[in-house]
Amino acid sequence: MLRKRFLSLTLALVMLLSLAAFAHAEEVIELRVLNYLNMTSPNTAEEQKVVWEAFEAAHPNIKLVMENEFNEPFHQAVEAYAAVGNLPDVIYVWPSGRSTTLHTKKLLKDLAPLAERDGLTEFYNPLVLDPAQQVGGYLAMLSNGVTATHTFLVNTEVLKDAGLEPAKTYSELVAQVPVLKAKGYDTVLMANQDTWVMQSCLFSMVAGRFCGEGWEQKILNGEAKFTDPDFLAALNFVKQIYEDKVIDPSTLAVGYGEGPGLFATNTAAYYIDGDWRVGDFITDQSTGEALMSPDKQAGVEITVFPEIDVEGVKINRTNTAVLATGYGINANLEDGSPKLEAAWELVKWLVGKDVLTYRLQTGGLGTPSRTDIDYASLTLEPMQIALANLAGEYDKATVVIDGVFEGPVYTPLNDGLQAIGMGTQTPEQVAQATQDAFEAWKNAK
Amino acid sequence: MTIHREKRLSYIVLVAPALIIYLAVVAFPTIFSIGLSLTNYNGGLIFGNPDIQFVGLKSYIWMFTEPAGNFYTSLGNNLLIVAVSVFGQIPLGFILAYILSRKLVKRGNSLFQTMIYLPNVISPIIIGVLFNAIIYGRNSVLMEVRKLFNPNAVFTLNTAPMVPVLIVILWMYTGFYMIIFLANLQRIDPAIIEAARIDGAREPQILWHISLPALSGVIITTAILAISGSLKTFDLIYAMTGGGPAGQTRVLSLYMYESAFRGAPNYPLANAISTVMVLISVVLIVITQRLGKTFGSKED
Repeated sequence: MLRKRFLSLTLALVMLLSLAAFAHAEEVIELRVLNYLNMTSPNTAEEQKVVWEAFEAAHPNIKLVMENEFNEPFHQAVEAYAAVGNLPDVIYVWPSGRSTTLHTKKLLKDLAPLAERDGLTEFYNPLVLDPAQQVGGYLAMLSNGVTATHTFLVNTEVLKDAGLEPAKTYSELVAQVPVLKAKGYDTVLMANQDTWVMQSCLFSMVAGRFCGEGWEQKILNGEAKFTDPDFLAALNFVKQIYEDKVIDPSTLAVGYGEGPGLFATNTAAYYIDGDWRVGDFITDQSTGEALMSPDKQAGVEITVFPEIDVEGVKINRTNTAVLATGYGINANLEDGSPKLEAAWELVKWLVGKDVLTYRLQTGGLGTPSRTDIDYASLTLEPMQIALANLAGEYDKATVVIDGVFEGPVYTPLNDGLQAIGMGTQTPEQVAQATQDAFEAWKNAK
Repeated sequence: MTIHREKRLSYIVLVAPALIIYLAVVAFPTIFSIGLSLTNYNGGLIFGNPDIQFVGLKSYIWMFTEPAGNFYTSLGNNLLIVAVSVFGQIPLGFILAYILSRKLVKRGNSLFQTMIYLPNVISPIIIGVLFNAIIYGRNSVLMEVRKLFNPNAVFTLNTAPMVPVLIVILWMYTGFYMIIFLANLQRIDPAIIEAARIDGAREPQILWHISLPALSGVIITTAILAISGSLKTFDLIYAMTGGGPAGQTRVLSLYMYESAFRGAPNYPLANAISTVMVLISVVLIVITQRLGKTFGSKED
């Protein structure tokens, strides 16, 4: 009898334990993630293992269902998910631009209370936790870093071959054009075929120098216009750059993918692009090959456009900077729910010290958002070190136009900047078209 | 069940699948697109979104009056493509088909036929990428060839960037029309042509009085295909020029795409553009059909 009771009790206990184990298994939280996989960066493939699989290993109760997209398909997937109200739980996000819908429609969770709760403020660059830096006016994402949309790469090997030193002013740059041309080099290379490149990577910085800090707010508030003399002077400077052949108009036929390759093969003495492009030059860890070997990279300086010694310039030694991309959480996740906590855990992991350090080392990131990364302990290639020191090359950062104004406003400007290069429109026409577009956009609002 | 009811039921059963598919994938999206063009929807949830409001023709007015004139530039480019298609591809396709069907080239008929049709079996994206590399870049094939003859040749931007696009379109699709004409020319009874020849008709007379009248219906059909195809051109130009430089090769479909997916999305504008594209297409097709009726389709 006793034996029977003992057996019954044991059986009940086993059943209880099984149920508990089953209940525990049920606690595994599944997170849908829409990630942007940068296929142009040589070390991206390893991210799956080092970033995502490592997270799952460290968090066995969280299962990730990944969807990786690149370029246009990513943005179209986001808009489609938003349209049907089926956004993934964790999403790769831009602070403005192509992710505007997510911010302005409040489709992403406000992360400020969570960031405050977990005391993140001490680890991050203040810009990252500043809601004003994101187009929706709230903390919809945690950013990987801060992006300089303008970098001025100097190929000292080419300059040396032409018997020149890096230009300190625009006048010096102009004086170098015939010398470099005689040697068969371009002066400044840009991949200008896509319309956004000139605006994002050069003109926004030029506009900042001619119009001064906060110029965009004056336009948004109606205190200034795109047709005002200072903005017009900035457009005229672009015309002058083309006329002086500092940037050859033929760069309008250089595709965005071609730029780094041309620069790496000594086509030009200088190259303008965003800081994200530095990752394209470094060594692919899986093959050991690089677009520019570390030895060659040592001959490349990374700085900002030289002092513009032209009438009308208000400030010099400036750059344009915006928050880099990052991760946000679907606003539909309930406060306090285990799923929200799991999603938050993932976001913190993605912008945590380990992942950002890894991305910094592999060239996937220029300037990380965390302030506690010890650069000295890392093995970085010369161009990565030069990029890490870029902040010391400028005093102020002004806005990137397509980060502040919406598509209907900056599209005629982007097209117009190309038209100036082609000589089919004057700066006055471009300024007027941009102002007209701005007013029409404002009225439509 | 009466025979009448049985017939009706079988009619419904047979028609229903096609009708349901048509309503789901053609009629509903078209009506929905027109509806969306009349709202202020600019992203986020579509159904059950309290912020979506009816704003009338606002997007249409913006499209026609926006300062940069993107609509008119795009429409102009589309009309150029329509012109090249209708007045270039079709006549050329017919001439080539006529030459081949009448065996005016003594040898290699099949080879020529294959060569002319070949671009049709290649993806427009591949052709776009290829011609971009051949024509547009500073390191393009064209530039390299120029340097063979003149080592000091300097790359300059093409001031009429639509011209290469039009040439590629002409090259790409002429074979398609040639095949259609060839198939229909081969349907003409050889006895009629033989009889005409015995009566002393020469080649131009056979062409004018027998072949062309027999194909007038086909010409109208090909014109409709050319017009509708030209208005929705997207892939080739997207790959070849991306609408640039400075939007000079932008067409309506690209303008629509950019409005919907580039920068802050403007879905009502994109839908308004697509609605206008459909309307333009319908108008041009009706005109073509009227012209066909006026000049009389002599095909049986």
